[in-house]
Amino acid sequence: MAIYVSQLIGKTVYDPRNTPLGRCTDVLVHENGHAAPVVCAIEMRLPDRKEQLVPAQQIAWLAPAIILSNPTPSEYLPQGTELSLRRHVLDRQIVDLEGHQLVRVNDAQLVRRDDGRYLLTSVAVGGASLLRRLGLERVSTLSQRVLGTAVPDRFIPWSQVAAVQPDAPIRLRVTRNKLEQLNAADMADIVEELDRPSSVALLEMLDDEVLADAIAEVEDELQPALLAALPDDRAAGVLAAMDPDDAADLLSALEEEERQEYLARMESEDQQAVGRLLAYPEDTAGGIMTNEFTAVPANLTVAEVLEHLRTSPQAREDETMYYIHVTDEAGHLEGIVSLRDVVMADPSARLSEIMQPAPVTVGLLTSQIEVAQLVAKYNLLEVPVVDDEGVLQGIVTVDDAIDAVIPTAWKKRLPRFF
Amino acid sequence: MKLKNTLSRAARRALLFVSVLGPGLITASADNDAPGIATYSMVGSRYGYSFLWIIVWVTVGEVVVQEMAARMGATTGKGLTDLIRERFGLRLTFLVLVGLVLANLGTTASQLAGIAAAAELFGVSRYIAVPIAAVAIYLLVTHGTYNRVEKVLIALSMFSVTYIASAILLKPDWGAVLRQAIVPQVHFDTQYLLAVLATVGTTITPWAAVYMQASIADKGVDMEHFGHTRLDVMFGAAVGNVVSAFIIICTAASLFARGIVVETAEQAALALAPVAGQWAEVLFGVGLMGASMLAASVLPLATTYAVCEVMGWARGLNLRRADARAFYGLFGGMIGLSGAVVLIPGIELFPLMWLSQVANSLLLPLVLVLMILLANSKPIMGRWRNRGLTNAIAAVTAVLVSIASLALLAGA
Repeated sequence: MAIYVSQLIGKTVYDPRNTPLGRCTDVLVHENGHAAPVVCAIEMRLPDRKEQLVPAQQIAWLAPAIILSNPTPSEYLPQGTELSLRRHVLDRQIVDLEGHQLVRVNDAQLVRRDDGRYLLTSVAVGGASLLRRLGLERVSTLSQRVLGTAVPDRFIPWSQVAAVQPDAPIRLRVTRNKLEQLNAADMADIVEELDRPSSVALLEMLDDEVLADAIAEVEDELQPALLAALPDDRAAGVLAAMDPDDAADLLSALEEEERQEYLARMESEDQQAVGRLLAYPEDTAGGIMTNEFTAVPANLTVAEVLEHLRTSPQAREDETMYYIHVTDEAGHLEGIVSLRDVVMADPSARLSEIMQPAPVTVGLLTSQIEVAQLVAKYNLLEVPVVDDEGVLQGIVTVDDAIDAVIPTAWKKRLPRFF
Repeated sequence: MKLKNTLSRAARRALLFVSVLGPGLITASADNDAPGIATYSMVGSRYGYSFLWIIVWVTVGEVVVQEMAARMGATTGKGLTDLIRERFGLRLTFLVLVGLVLANLGTTASQLAGIAAAAELFGVSRYIAVPIAAVAIYLLVTHGTYNRVEKVLIALSMFSVTYIASAILLKPDWGAVLRQAIVPQVHFDTQYLLAVLATVGTTITPWAAVYMQASIADKGVDMEHFGHTRLDVMFGAAVGNVVSAFIIICTAASLFARGIVVETAEQAALALAPVAGQWAEVLFGVGLMGASMLAASVLPLATTYAVCEVMGWARGLNLRRADARAFYGLFGGMIGLSGAVVLIPGIELFPLMWLSQVANSLLLPLVLVLMILLANSKPIMGRWRNRGLTNAIAAVTAVLVSIASLALLAGA
C-alpha cells in the first residue's frame, strides 16, 4: 500500500510499547541516483521541542502508524546525500523529465519493500493530491458522483524528476545526470519558467557545451541576464562554446561596455569570428550567418576530401556540414557539393567534377526575410553568404533563416506577463 | 561644449529614471481606483484638510511594505504566494488564495462600476462602456508583451494628474493644506476609524504586494540593481499618495467648506461641477476612468498569477500546455464576471463590496505578518533580510491594520 509523505508529517511516533515519543516532522531519503531512493531517516520533534533524526533501521512501520523498533532510538548522522522530502520536495517546483516541464509537488509516495525498508517511488502533482492535502477529498467524491469522473491525479516516477533547489553539491550532481536527458530546447523552456536563482544554479552545473546550447535556445530577452548571472570565466567559456552567430546575437543585445569586456575574455580566434559577425545588422544574412563552415580546394579527389574532413580543425568546428564548399586560394566560392554526394562518389573523382557550380548565394546585407524565402523556394538546408568580390564569408543554416518567418517569440506566442 | 555635455548627461539620467518606473508607479496609481477615489472624496468632504497627515504616514507604510515585496522578489526570484506555500504549507496558502480571489473579485467589480460611472458622466451608457472596457482590458493584457502592457498601464496612471489640475482650479488655501498635512489631528469615533481603515486598505493591499513581487521576480531584477527598483517604489508611492492628497484637497476645498458630504467618486464629480465649474467634473471623470481601467487590469492579473503559481499551473507562457487554459480562464472569468455583475439592472453592489472589504481586512493583516516572517527568514533572504527600522515600521503597520480590521469586523 502506498504511503503519502504529507500524511506522515505531524503524526505521532511510537516506541515498540506504544508509548508516544514525539511527532514526525520530516522524511529523509538517500538521493544517490537510484530510481527509487531509500528512506534513510525520519526527523522527529520531541516533547522538549528538540529535533532528532531516527535512522531507518530503527523504524518498524511507517503506516498505519509510525512505530520504532527501539525504545531509545540512536541519532542518525547525515552524510550530505540526504534529500529532505518536506523541505526540498513537498510544495516545491521540480523538473518533470517526461513532460519536459516544471511541476509543483503536492505529495510524495513511499512504498514498503520486502526487507522492511521504505522507498520513494513517485511524486504526485495532480488535482486529487492537492485536494487530499487540503482535506477536501469529498470534492473528488462529489465530482465522481455528479460528473461521473473523479478529479484526476498524476504521478511521476522519481526516476523521471529532478529537484532543482540550489543547495548541496552532491545532490546537484544527481540532478545534472538526470537533466542531461533533456534536449536544449526543453531545458530552455524550463529555465525560462524557473525563478532566477534556481535557473542559474541549474545552468551552472551543466558543462559549457550543454549550457551554450541551452542558453542559445532561451528567449532573446532573457539571455543577457542569464549570462550576467554566471561567473565571468564561465560566461566567457559559454560564449566560446556557442555557435559564433548565436554568441554574436547575444552580445549584440548587451551594452557596448559589457560586450567589449566579454569579447576581451574570449580567445583571439573566437573573438575574431564573433567580432566579424557583430559588424552586420541583426536582420541581414551577415547578422545571422555563422562563419564555421567547411571549405576545400577544387582539385582534391573525393578520397582526399574525406581524409581532409576527418583531420581539419575547421571541419571539426562545422556543426552541420550539410555541404562542402569549394573555394579557390583567395576564398572565392566556386561551387558546393553535398556531403551525401561526396560520400556516394567514386573516391578517385575530382571534387570539381561532382560539385554544383554557381549555387544560390546571398550577400552580406541581404535581408533575413529574403534569405528565408530563398531557403523555402529552393528547399535549401543552408545558403552560402559571399561578399561583393564573391569571397565566401559564412553560411546561413535553415534554422536561423526560418527564425525570420517563425521567430522564437511566435513559437511561444503567449506573452510573459510580469 | 561643456554645457552640452552636462545637458546630455542630465537628459540621459532623466531618461534612465523614466525607464526604471514600473511596478511601483503602477501599483501606487492603481490605489487611486474607484473605491480609492470614493474613500478620498468621502474623507475630504467630511474631515477637510485635517485628514491629510494620515496620507503622509500611509505613504511611509506603503513604501516599507512594497519595498519588502520587491526585495523578496529580487532575492528569491519567486512570487509571494510561492514563498508562502514553500514556507508555510498548502493550507495557509489556500486560505490566502481564497481571500485574494474573493477580495479582488469584489474590487474588480468596483473598478468596472467606476468605469460605468465615469462613462455615464460623459453621457455614454454603461451597457456600451463596460463591455468595451472589459474586452479591451482582456485583449491588452493577453495579447501584449509585458513591456508594452506596462507602458499602457503607466500611460493610464498619468490620468491621475487630472486631480492635481482640478485641485489647482479650486484655488485652495495652501498654507492651511501644508499645516494640516504635518500636524496630526485625531477624532475618536467609529466613522473616523472606518475612514482611516478604508484609506489604509485602499493603499496597502495584498494584491499590490503580490503584483510587485511577481513583476520584480519575472523581470529578473537582482539585488545588485535593486537601487532602481527601490527608487521606483518610493517615487510611485509618493506620486500615488500626492494624487490621493489632491483628491482630498479637491473635495475639502469645495465640498467640506460648504458642508456637502459625498460617498462615491461620481457623486464627488457631480458635486464639484456647480462649485468648481464644468472642468473639474470632466477632469474628475477622466481620472476615475483611467485609474479604474488600470486597476481592473492589474488586480485580476495579480490574482490569476498568484493562483497559477501556487497550483503549479503554467502561467500563460506556453500555448502547448492545456494548463494555460486555467490562466486565461481565471483572468477572463474575473473580468467577465465583474463586468456582468455591474450590468445587472438594478443591482445593489453594496453586499459584494462589503464581502470584498471583509475579505481584504482579514487578508491584509495575515499577509503582512507572513511577509514580515518571510522577509526575516535567513534561509530565504540571506543577507538581504529585514533591518530593524523596516521591521519596526512594518510591525507597527501590521498591528494597526489588525486592530482596525478587528474593530471594523466587530463594528459590522
